[in-house]
Amino acid sequence: MKTFAVLQLAGCAGCEVSLLNADEWVGQYRLAYMPLVISAHDVPEVDLLLVSGGVRNEEDLYNLRRAAPRAGKVVAIGTCAISGGVPSLGDRDDVREVFLTDRRHHVPQLLPKCHPIDAVVPVDRYLPGCPPTPELFMALLTGPPGFKMSAIVCIECGRKKLRDMKPNRFTGFQRGEVEPGICLINQGFLCIGSSTRGGCRAPCPRAGHPCVGCRGPSDSLIEKESAAWLSSISRVISGLTDIPAADIDCELRSPHLSLFLFQFSDYSGPGRTPRPKEKVM
Amino acid sequence: MPSLTFPLSRIEGHARVVIDVEGGEVRSASFQATEFRGFKRLVQGVPAEQMTVIVPRICGVCSTAHHIAAVKALEDAFGVEPPPLARTLRELLLLGQLIQNQATSLFIFTMPDRLGVSSILGPGRDTDADERSQIAKHALAVRRAGTRLITAAGGQFIHPVKAVVGGMTGGIDTDTARVVADELASQLLLACELIEIYARTSFELRERIGTWGDDAPAYYLTAVSDSLPNYDGDLLRLLGPDEAVSTFPASSHNEHLTYEQPDYSYSGRTNCRGEALRANSLARINMAESMGTPLADGYLKRFRDNFGRPAHAILLFDLARCIELVYAIERGMQILAMPLSDEDTDVPYKPKDGEGYGLVEAPRGPLIHHYVIENGLIADAEFVIPTVHNIKSIERALMVAARRYITGDKIDMELEQAVGRVVRAFDPCIACATH
Ligand code: SF4
Ligand code: SF4
Repeated sequence: MKTFAVLQLAGCAGCEVSLLNADEWVGQYRLAYMPLVISAHDVPEVDLLLVSGGVRNEEDLYNLRRAAPRAGKVVAIGTCAISGGVPSLGDRDDVREVFLTDRRHHVPQLLPKCHPIDAVVPVDRYLPGCPPTPELFMALLTGPPGFKMSAIVCIECGRKKLRDMKPNRFTGFQRGEVEPGICLINQGFLCIGSSTRGGCRAPCPRAGHPCVGCRGPSDSLIEKESAAWLSSISRVISGLTDIPAADIDCELRSPHLSLFLFQFSDYSGPGRTPRPKEKVM
Repeated sequence: MPSLTFPLSRIEGHARVVIDVEGGEVRSASFQATEFRGFKRLVQGVPAEQMTVIVPRICGVCSTAHHIAAVKALEDAFGVEPPPLARTLRELLLLGQLIQNQATSLFIFTMPDRLGVSSILGPGRDTDADERSQIAKHALAVRRAGTRLITAAGGQFIHPVKAVVGGMTGGIDTDTARVVADELASQLLLACELIEIYARTSFELRERIGTWGDDAPAYYLTAVSDSLPNYDGDLLRLLGPDEAVSTFPASSHNEHLTYEQPDYSYSGRTNCRGEALRANSLARINMAESMGTPLADGYLKRFRDNFGRPAHAILLFDLARCIELVYAIERGMQILAMPLSDEDTDVPYKPKDGEGYGLVEAPRGPLIHHYVIENGLIADAEFVIPTVHNIKSIERALMVAARRYITGDKIDMELEQAVGRVVRAFDPCIACATH
């Protein structure tokens, strides 16, 4: 039986909780290490090492460096491990100051920046999502026959894009009644499902909430710069609404972007080559 | 003798216990949380209305509680009152979270301590592997029923999205409600079977180690009412060692609770007039008059007959979770039988600057979000985390255990197990505690 281990760095454990719901691996894999559910204090040799969370402190760095060489393959799980995720909102000078000046005793020292794991060890595969759904975990671990995912969230969402329902201003992030069955952009919401990779089955727009892009950029954007991503979203919004271009631009570059960009931040950060789409699930 | 360090597992997050011993005397026991992401600072400047999406990422185990606390804090600041149906749907979300959490804490985190194995999921050397894999299968099924309930009410079971300022984005249609209710009904039977195994093995454990983890009385804190507990809380209730109860709103938590910041941990530590404070299951069960659902009331009676009220021993936190698991399933079924598909799930609102508090009873106790909003952006945020309330109590209970197993120059090897049992009884969540 193949073995796998789960190494949790600086994250929220949501990725692990999602994996617990994907329990069909139980008969097919032997789980050798996952402190959340097993008392074991070191990563053994395994076929597959799943790493969740970013590298936030010295202990994360040490644990990752120690565990990765023991694994046949390393998979980065979830947005935090891939691009820093929500915690990387802390990579601003005013917040970084907290990390740099905090000098507590006996606890692992914080690093000045939260790093994605491929800044530290080579990564064989990426499974983006915050968290990836149980179905995606299953697809990664056992590759169920017939598993297919769409290129973008819009295809999985099922809401209809209308040519004749064109709001002339944004509704706000999540304000107001949501009409069932109709594209959220037609209703003035800033939904970025059109540039986000599918596979999650679009739970957010289906539930009436804009997609915030947690699966990261779609294959057609992942190897490009974030400017390409921005213009792709503006094109979609101007096609489906009468919102003036200047307003769209302003909305996309407002602090709202923090929300969307946290999913994107390191995909092609300065000095880093983008992740090849073949490696991203 | 130097200090003894115990790494911890089968809890959420990164932490360890350090016990200092000098000349055969236990000097101190400290609970050290070793991770930190800086949410209090990193949310500064975030548009206030986006908090409902950002703060669930504090913790994937407790994301539902953070999601709702954020929405309530914003509603408080904007002066919006959600419609009754939205309140009901939020209660349902929190019940789903409680089912998922208590099933995980009971059957995945602490059951292995009763069975003497390292995990119910991982590799084992025990001869009862078949029984164990049966328990694992059922445990995962019960917790999954909780996640289905969260998905139905919240859109997804980790980092849900359906609670918005002014209400919910939508209700639950009748078909979905029926499917989820049926699943809860069938998992109720499995849950009761697991609880029987859990209770039996807990009594065996008690026989073997000779204690329920006896400890002195403490203050107890909760945000639920004393019957038919609604986790969508509105007031805090504090039970003192003299058994008097005081009630206060989230906005005056500072007047009743004192927070310190030990330098050996990224988590704070609460005390109440200098004394230990406890939140989580035992606090709720000690303060409940009744649960208000038939099976759970039966379990509550059994608990009281055995242990009295209020009960203080540490391992009773775990047994109290059994009562709550049954209650949450029963109450979830009751609510799912009500009409939930109505379109009146939210009211319009206008955002404004100001200050707001959001309170919910999370599985680990009362959770408070407090935001200050300027120009539509978060100027300051405060997260009052239930695990932090329990740290002083955890350390006190660890001292009791350490003194029991360290005598003169001898350390009983049972100490390592005891440390794990004490910590897990409080079900601490380190991602939340440090945020
Ligand atoms: S990617 Fe999302 S779910 Fe996973 S650890 Fe990070 S915040 Fe949690
Ligand atoms: S719909 Fe968007 S935000 Fe929601 S899970 Fe999918 S990618 Fe993530």
